[in-house]
Amino acid sequence: MLRKSMIAVVILVLLAGVPIQAAEFPTKEVQVIIPWAAGGATDLIFRALAATTGKYLGKAVVVVNRPGGGSAVGYTEGAQAKPDGYMLTSAVTPLTILPHQVTTAYTYKNFEPIINVVSDPSMFLIRSDAPWKSLKEFLDYAKKHPEMITVGNSGAGGGVHLVALAFEKTAGVKLNHIPFSGGGPSVTAILGGHVNAVSVSPPEGISHVQAGKLKILALFAEKRLEMFPDVPTVKEQGIDFAMGMWRGLVAPKGTPPDAIKKLHDAFKQGMDDPVFRKNAKDMAVNLSYLGPEPFGKLMASEHEFFEKLIKEIKK
Amino acid sequence: MFESLQHLASGFTIATTFYNLFYCLIGAIVGTLIGVLPGIGPIAGIALLIPATFGLNPTSAIIMLAGIYYGAMYGGSTTSILLNVPGETASVITCIDGYQMAQKGRAGPALAICAIGSFIAGTIGLFGLVFLAPPLAEAALAFGPPEYFSLMVFGFIVLSNVTGTSLIKSLMMAVVGLIIGTIGLDPVTGDARFTFGSISLLGGIEFVAVAIGLFGIAEVLTNVEKPLEMLEQRVIVPRFRELYPSLQDLKKSITAILRGTGIGFGVGLVPGPAPVIATYSSYMIERKISKHPEEFGKGAIEGVAGPESANNSACQSAFIPLFVLGIPFAPPTAILLGALLIHGVTPGPLLIGQHPELFWGVIASMYIGNFILLILNLPFVPLFANILRIPKKILLPLIILFCITGQYTVNNSVFDIGIMLLFGALGFLMRKWAYEGAPLLLALVLGPKLEVAFRQSLMISHGDFGVFINRPISMVFLLATLVFLAIPILRTVSKYLKKGGIV
Repeated sequence: MLRKSMIAVVILVLLAGVPIQAAEFPTKEVQVIIPWAAGGATDLIFRALAATTGKYLGKAVVVVNRPGGGSAVGYTEGAQAKPDGYMLTSAVTPLTILPHQVTTAYTYKNFEPIINVVSDPSMFLIRSDAPWKSLKEFLDYAKKHPEMITVGNSGAGGGVHLVALAFEKTAGVKLNHIPFSGGGPSVTAILGGHVNAVSVSPPEGISHVQAGKLKILALFAEKRLEMFPDVPTVKEQGIDFAMGMWRGLVAPKGTPPDAIKKLHDAFKQGMDDPVFRKNAKDMAVNLSYLGPEPFGKLMASEHEFFEKLIKEIKK
Repeated sequence: MFESLQHLASGFTIATTFYNLFYCLIGAIVGTLIGVLPGIGPIAGIALLIPATFGLNPTSAIIMLAGIYYGAMYGGSTTSILLNVPGETASVITCIDGYQMAQKGRAGPALAICAIGSFIAGTIGLFGLVFLAPPLAEAALAFGPPEYFSLMVFGFIVLSNVTGTSLIKSLMMAVVGLIIGTIGLDPVTGDARFTFGSISLLGGIEFVAVAIGLFGIAEVLTNVEKPLEMLEQRVIVPRFRELYPSLQDLKKSITAILRGTGIGFGVGLVPGPAPVIATYSSYMIERKISKHPEEFGKGAIEGVAGPESANNSACQSAFIPLFVLGIPFAPPTAILLGALLIHGVTPGPLLIGQHPELFWGVIASMYIGNFILLILNLPFVPLFANILRIPKKILLPLIILFCITGQYTVNNSVFDIGIMLLFGALGFLMRKWAYEGAPLLLALVLGPKLEVAFRQSLMISHGDFGVFINRPISMVFLLATLVFLAIPILRTVSKYLKKGGIV
């Protein structure tokens, strides 16, 4: 008797569950592809965001790392995933850079924008004992000695490398760019005095600026950093240049708009959660919310910008 | 010095609270398991468990995550010894003599000496960490691209012939490794090289896939060729008394352990593939100074004890740049850096001053952790050694299954499984014609770093090759390489002259 009633209950629950499952998104966990190995800035940010977003979405958000090919492997898989809203990809600046450098099976156009989470300015760091006291002195020296100043970056064709190239074009100087295999090695190189400057994006090198070993030579931001209010932007110094790294989320093209909306709303709430805010502050990343439409526009303009810049370099 | 001891004492009071001891134990157990499973290594293990630490305070979180890192170093040798499957990069060398020992029924002593060596190395490494951390971190910064290049050249030339068989065959294999290492994105220009349009090849060939293929899969394939009766017989039934190392084993091993500890600690400070260089160097040195070099490759216990200690102390000294400079030199410490950030601790030169409880607490917990690992690992020795009682016809397919699932967990990539099987087939042929896998793997790790350092150096110097000899550290490595190359030539010449003189 008891068993029969149990079965009846189970059947009822199942029957009740079916129509709800068909109507309500999400019915299972949502995965976010990180096209880099675990432990990088993007990975850390989205792991933290996944932790707070789950409760607003009603289902867990799971981070999966698909490293390889300088992010091409992860983006290819993300673009080819079923457009049902359960397989998202973290969209970071290289999404609009790599397709201009190698033949990829995707561009940003293969994705639907959901939300932008973080936007960090780039900057140049020099050693505190460097001979240049200001950006002007640095640029004057660079003009007199073209290609003599060595500037490290975190990888050939990566974000901060292109920032450095774009900046030297705007400032009208020629620098000598040295690629390293990540932000850590490039910061090590400047601490050891093996390069004259490095192009970085927070949190890389920040702790050494705080310790007084390194200083910010040029800040490519629209406004000053909260942490270092005394450091002027390059715009304030008369060079019209600002550039940084953005990190957001995208879904495969063709994902239903109501799923996009639900995801956007949940991730927005996850972003506003005090726990995530504190994590972001501790990581010294700059939260910068953009909804689906403005985020799409940002990716489009960045795509165009890097296309031009890379053509210029490859000449 | 006295101050350091005082700090260390306060660290022990933090580390020995029930709460922290518990997380240290969890980290050690998880680390051992991760080390035992092939494929999944400390990097993936720590990354997977970071979210589990969100609710903990930073000190407990790092105690647990660090435990996974050095715990994995203990477990990593298990599959190398028993199945000839290297669990991670650091345990490739252990396959050579460890597996031979197991085949002779001495799996127990091999496993036990790994745990004992790791414990001694961990303990000594810890003292290095306490007393020498700040000056060593500064010294490590002196390594720029030119120094790095010369070190790689030195490593490449000296360590290629690590097993001491045929020099020419070793160099041939090293060149194959170098060539494989060029596949992927060009590190300087970002262009794709030798990928033939394949997206999966853009990231290069996965080291672990090659290592498991060349050792584990190839070993299985080699066995398949053997007569059926051999596969059906129970291989070795070790007697209990023989499960642990004899006094003679310990005597043989102790100096190897101490030397390995020294080498590992020094090499661990150098950014890059420290575990590989440390284990290869230790093996090389043990073989060179041994009174019985012919035993190496056939089950010499020193060939297990030295490298295993080296990789454990390299793991300890890898914490120095992380804590003192906030810069991870090794991939597992990069993940730990991420974990620190998540817990609101900014790694960097100010860390020790701002969070003394974290730094000294973690250091003290590492000592306790090493002790826990020794206690934890020794009782497992008979259990693991008994795996070899399984008849080979059952064990071999299991190894293949183990390798495939293990490999898949690294990057969740089916492509990598294909690479692993391909190198398994290659490894089978290499065995038939007596080519060694170790030089190939060494070149695969060092090659890309060597190329990058070479190109970076010349870019910094504007094409001037003088950069390699004008800098003292770089020049010393290059000179040492020359001397190493010159010795055999001089020996031959002097032999020839002597002969000529007498006759």
